[in-house]
Amino acid sequence: MSADKHEFVDGDLLRSIEQSGVGFRVATTVLGLTVLTAWVLFSRQILEGLGVTGLNQPVAWGFYIVNFVFFIGISHAGTLISAILRLSQAEWRRPITRMAEVITVVVLAIGAFHPVLDLGRPERALNIFTAGRLQSPLLWDVSSISAYFMASTVYLYIPMIPDIAILRDRGVRPRWLYSFLAWGWQGTPRQQAVLGRAVNIMMVLVIPIAVSVHTVISYIFAMTLQPGWHSTIFGPYFVVGAIFSGIAALLMVMIVLRRIFRLERYLKQIHFDYLSRLLLIMALLWFYFTFSEYLTAFFGHEPAEMRVFYYKVSGPYAPFFWGMVVCNFLVPVLILAFRRTRTIPGIFVASLTVVVGMWLERLNIVVPSLANPRSGLPTGYYLPSVVEWGMFAGGIATFILGFVLFARFFPLISLWEIQEGRELSVAETAARLETYLPDPPAAAPAEEASP
Amino acid sequence: MSSQPPSRPPGSRRIYLLQVVSVVAIWAFVLGISGWILHLLRLSHQLHDVPSASIGISIVAIPVFLTGASVLTYVFVGLRRGRDAGGEEQR
Repeated sequence: MSADKHEFVDGDLLRSIEQSGVGFRVATTVLGLTVLTAWVLFSRQILEGLGVTGLNQPVAWGFYIVNFVFFIGISHAGTLISAILRLSQAEWRRPITRMAEVITVVVLAIGAFHPVLDLGRPERALNIFTAGRLQSPLLWDVSSISAYFMASTVYLYIPMIPDIAILRDRGVRPRWLYSFLAWGWQGTPRQQAVLGRAVNIMMVLVIPIAVSVHTVISYIFAMTLQPGWHSTIFGPYFVVGAIFSGIAALLMVMIVLRRIFRLERYLKQIHFDYLSRLLLIMALLWFYFTFSEYLTAFFGHEPAEMRVFYYKVSGPYAPFFWGMVVCNFLVPVLILAFRRTRTIPGIFVASLTVVVGMWLERLNIVVPSLANPRSGLPTGYYLPSVVEWGMFAGGIATFILGFVLFARFFPLISLWEIQEGRELSVAETAARLETYLPDPPAAAPAEEASP
Repeated sequence: MSSQPPSRPPGSRRIYLLQVVSVVAIWAFVLGISGWILHLLRLSHQLHDVPSASIGISIVAIPVFLTGASVLTYVFVGLRRGRDAGGEEQR
């Protein structure tokens, strides 16, 4: 974790910070305008109420809740994957972990805001501070997401300290920011021990929190008696889906950033190969859970359940349902199962379809159950309005903007972890060689050595 | 002023104060959340709601927040104490 060893070796990782150019300004302007447009649409919704959306009775949850579940799912990319790879001491993790952790923090903030968008009177969200009922799974979400956000932010920040110190020592502006965030890091053995201990604690803490967050999110559906929602496997099903979409999002981010910031030296084929194999496994696991979920409902043949079932597989939502199956299972499996198609462009296509497919899955979970209520009401419909589409675009723009701003101020790949990996690999190789190579000759006395 | 060595960069004391304030703010946030959860627990008791969910959430959530804040404080204090005496003034 020494700060001063990387200055010239990995200087190209600091290019986006030290030499941000026209591209950065254009990107932030375009993204900023998109986010601003979303806020204008939101203010229109505040002034005119939820009537400007496609939400109605009985479909009272639409894009906002779909996107809430979707974004929180994507957030599993980071901290969970990073923590698992660190815990298992997977050496190839080093160039990946930082990006994964940034995804978590940015997307979690965006996702957590979506239930507020869904309120006709957003200021009433403050009522949870005075009159919230912890019996409601919605409040379980509030507390678990805030815990996850805090743990993820700490887990992102602590391993960044040595890198921030490098920026501080190189005199990168704003210098006060890096001095403030570096917390006096000098890379002394004692500081390294403290940081290592803290990272270890956080990586163990973060894994159960991450798993619990998406389990708890599934509870806002599973704890109701709505057909299509009341399922005991919703917890693990949501966790699997979240990790699945998270890995896909991480792969997309890696491929795009590799291209933009010319990170080919760091993000190599092997990183994509390993992660895409993980994506393939998750695709199979997702199919297994989906099949189990729908087979159980079909076999029971309970009338209310079957209304939702047929609404999805052969009714108005059939294109979305079968689109979900194609995007989440057929396309990724066909691409990733074969070495010939498991190339970086192939992985990008597979990841993109998985992200789209997982969004369709969230849509398939939220809307059809509400459109076919158990109470005997006529079947409802839901058509999202321009406002909802605009807010969705705003959410995606916020995600990209968050990443662009992060890349402007901090390295996207952990400098010290890369350096530590190099040092460890040299030490390990030397130790392995020593086990079978002949020992070096003992130092000869001076008089024997001289003629 | 005279107690400060000449090598100290301008504003370093302000930065240090800002760092202390940020750690205090984190604790204020964590204690605020913990207080809020305890308030909801008391509320559920007053309203004769089923308290098990509230207790379960409190048992899980409060220690997580406290651990996060404790780890940050440990890092902050540990990094201050672990500095080289020679290079200390330049950070």
